[in-house]
Amino acid sequence: MAETFQNLYLGFSVALTPTVLFYAFVGCVIGTLVGVLPGVGPLAGISLLLPATFGLNATNAIVLLAGIYYGAMYGGSTTSILMRIPGEAASVMTCIDGYEMTKKGRAGPALAIAAVGSYIAGTLSIVGLMFLAPPLASFALRFGPPEYFALLVLGLLVLAYMSSGSMPKALAMAALGLLLGMIGIDTMTGFFRFHYGLVELGDGIGVVPVAVGLFGISEILLTAGLPTPPAVHKPKLRELLPSRQEWRDSAAPIGRGTLLGFLIGIIPGSAHIISSFVSYALERRLSKHPERFGQGAVEGVAGPESANNSATSGAFVPMLALGVPSGPIPAVMLAAMMVHGISPGPFLITQQPELFWGFIASMYVGNVVLLILNLPLVGLFVNLLRIPYPFLYPAILVFCVLGVYAVNQSVVDVWIMAIMGALGYLLRKFEFDTAPIVLGVILAPMLEMALRQSLAMSGGNYAIFFSRPIAATMLLVGLALLLLSLRPLLARGADWRRSVGLEEKRALGEENP
Amino acid sequence: MTLRLLTLFLALLFLTAPAADAQEPFPARPITLVAPFPPGGVADLTARPVAAAMEKVLKNPVVVVNKTGAAGAVGMSFVANSKPDGYTLLLALSSISIIPEADKLFNRTPAYNMTQLSPIALISADPTILVVAADRPWKSVKEFVEDAKRRPGEISFSSSGVYGTLHMATEMLSHAGGIKLKHVPFGGAGPALTAILGGHVDALASGPAVVLPHIKAGKLRPLAGWGAKRVAALPDLPTFKELGYDIEFYIWAGVFAPTGTPAPVLKALRDAVRRAVEDPDFKGAMAKLETPIAYMDAPEFQKFWDKDARMLADAIKRVGRIEEKK
Repeated sequence: MAETFQNLYLGFSVALTPTVLFYAFVGCVIGTLVGVLPGVGPLAGISLLLPATFGLNATNAIVLLAGIYYGAMYGGSTTSILMRIPGEAASVMTCIDGYEMTKKGRAGPALAIAAVGSYIAGTLSIVGLMFLAPPLASFALRFGPPEYFALLVLGLLVLAYMSSGSMPKALAMAALGLLLGMIGIDTMTGFFRFHYGLVELGDGIGVVPVAVGLFGISEILLTAGLPTPPAVHKPKLRELLPSRQEWRDSAAPIGRGTLLGFLIGIIPGSAHIISSFVSYALERRLSKHPERFGQGAVEGVAGPESANNSATSGAFVPMLALGVPSGPIPAVMLAAMMVHGISPGPFLITQQPELFWGFIASMYVGNVVLLILNLPLVGLFVNLLRIPYPFLYPAILVFCVLGVYAVNQSVVDVWIMAIMGALGYLLRKFEFDTAPIVLGVILAPMLEMALRQSLAMSGGNYAIFFSRPIAATMLLVGLALLLLSLRPLLARGADWRRSVGLEEKRALGEENP
Repeated sequence: MTLRLLTLFLALLFLTAPAADAQEPFPARPITLVAPFPPGGVADLTARPVAAAMEKVLKNPVVVVNKTGAAGAVGMSFVANSKPDGYTLLLALSSISIIPEADKLFNRTPAYNMTQLSPIALISADPTILVVAADRPWKSVKEFVEDAKRRPGEISFSSSGVYGTLHMATEMLSHAGGIKLKHVPFGGAGPALTAILGGHVDALASGPAVVLPHIKAGKLRPLAGWGAKRVAALPDLPTFKELGYDIEFYIWAGVFAPTGTPAPVLKALRDAVRRAVEDPDFKGAMAKLETPIAYMDAPEFQKFWDKDARMLADAIKRVGRIEEKK
């Protein structure tokens, strides 16, 4: 304990030197920008900037790149809340209730809660990273394909709680999303599937164009189709701050989101995206008023936004403690370390204490910077809503096209976004919820890969999911969640979802794939 | 730094503008270097310093884009089918010769043909080495092969993807040693490494650079290398040739352009790469990655590539079509 604080003192002595402070600040600013721009996510931002860090020393480089990563998690919520456009994939869930809050004139509080939640989650999860990195890292490595599959099945159960409308419609949308997720090359055999001669479809349909199209473009189309344009919000200063009730409602979700995000974040894979889904589902599950979700519940913003932030710190655990690339973004950061002649591995913490503790301390500093940066921006961003729609919406369209194009420099992606926009418009006209499609597109490839890798490991034996303790535990938790959701059916109480039976059928199908 | 991002966005804006007249000096706008594997793998780690060094020579941004999928086929066919104007380049590994052969094996339309890509330069060539998880019993290739013979299809290995480089290297060993191993493909060398460190698979063929820190840390144990010579960083590690297995495999990295790229543009690119590999920063970067530079200009590289492709084609035919267990 005393040693940790001594090390932390060393860390702060590194982190508070003007140059390191400067790079942390630059990283946070770029990260916020990258997060705000729809399409360009932290991976694209970090990859673009990596060569620019070759001239810096290792500590500065890592501090800069990490700043972009967690900064993007702050920025990602902005467009989700204001315009229903996810700034990056981990902010998809924030679109749902965040945008509903904006429609009710509560954009300021939503943004403020997202920023404060991110700050608390960011800071607390660094404490976790600091004290628990080595033991947690070896635990995280025990997550192989079977464990990842079990986690994803848990994630799929989330689908059942996504929709506030009709259950059959939600399930149809989830199925559509899973089908779209099957497009692309079969990673186990190299066969092409459903690509219709388009090379760009070989790598599957990207989450970003689908999410931006289904959420953002469809919203613009719907608004354009209204007989009278919606009134322009004129937020007053005191409406920028969350009410006492909103603070109270957010406190517990922020705490739970932080813990959940950190734990899911350490698992190798693109876990920070999943963490926000699971957090949303958990909050809805625990809420006394689940019917408020989808109608502008502040918990639906506070939970996922905290979770995706603490998941970024979680992702650093295996990276720093073991030198394991726990996801695409830590992999780029490991590359940056290697380029600077630091071999990332189990000895990093002992051999490079300045780097490790400087990095930790700079994350504390960075989160403060981001809070200071983002809270005043709330006022600025909310004022964007004052812009009349005939000017605001074309501008948003330009940003969507630019952002989606920039990710892969692919015109096909822009077309996918346009088609998804039209599809989203039609579906929403018929009162289908489009969120399950996005979740399906994200989960399908991961789920398929994990399932088939597991079966390759076991030689085709399904028992592998039950003979490994972590996987079995998670599947049991999933089963328990299902049984819990059956309770209202048996109790015949005032039920907010009448069609729970369908959920059961679906889940039974999942248990025997 | 923000300026770089800004320039990039401005550049993207102009990309959609109609192409300037044919006389424009090359390069007039940012160049994309496609790395067909996820960040953190050999292709990515080589592409980034190459791009940085080329950028200095060409005075234009060279942007590395990871276009991943199907053991690299997605990124490679993307470049093969790109406009041959020198603005879309490929940093490919040995697997560039594998994928069209595998496609032939399955009687399907190849994702691309090797004739669609013209070599610019070879950057590096590094033999793969066989590592096993340290808690596994095998201390030598002999023990490994003997155990694999006792339990066919039981010992597992991870790879960067079906018919990918790491897969082919292991299959060569399986053939030479007369053993059968269990294959668990991943989406790149990074995830494949995570899998062996987590103890989910037993063995992995990998470039030395990525596994060295974990060997030093005692998490992985090297058994042998695929090179003609021993790996400089691991002088005690025997080669398969020394042990009597006639197999050789290198992960090499080279830069390619779509065939049909105008000769002056190709020349500019060849010059750029030749000067880039001389760049002290590049040399330093590769040294830190412990990856030996093995520069070859286009004509020489073409010969090297032809020979390597023939060798791999033979190996693939021997390995044959991989059926999934039902």
